[in-house]
Amino acid sequence: MIAAAVAMLLLAAACFGYRMLVGPTLADRIVGVNGLIVVGMSAIVVEAFESERGAFLPVLVVASLVSFIGTGMVARYIEGRGR
Amino acid sequence: MIAELLVLAGAALTLIAAVGTLRFSDVFSRMHTLTKASTFGLFLVIAGAVVRLDNPNDLTFLVLATVLHLVTSPVGSILISRATYYAEGIRHGIDTIDELQEGRDRGRP
Repeated sequence: MIAAAVAMLLLAAACFGYRMLVGPTLADRIVGVNGLIVVGMSAIVVEAFESERGAFLPVLVVASLVSFIGTGMVARYIEGRGR
Repeated sequence: MIAELLVLAGAALTLIAAVGTLRFSDVFSRMHTLTKASTFGLFLVIAGAVVRLDNPNDLTFLVLATVLHLVTSPVGSILISRATYYAEGIRHGIDTIDELQEGRDRGRP
């Protein structure tokens, strides 16, 4: 059952990675990067669920904040540059 | 049993969001899937883990991560949408009413 969840997360990561590599605009690439970070967070939670050890859960909090700050900075850059 | 079903549902919702990111035709539509479906998928996966784990340290981290992600993900999408709109504009086949138009002609609020 958990193997099915991990396989689905792998496919989702492939789709977001495709959008990051082939995205006509910079905003598409940011959508891809944010999607990859969310899939990474889901993978960490699935691992904590399966092994019942909460050793990696602070990484979740840090990744969420890092993705938000990165998105804000790229938005500022898009406004300034124009594309 | 319930915890495994929640995790499976969350992973399926994340996969649906990723397929939607591939198939939509405009960058604004693609941000819809990332903000709404992907955030809710992460929320379901974390709910499954909350049902299963026991240690109060772990539960605190999970709840904190959920709250932070629910607060920051829509704000990030709003920032990117505003920046793309002011930089490039919007394709007028999608909407008929453009509420930000006079703000754009004036320079930028």
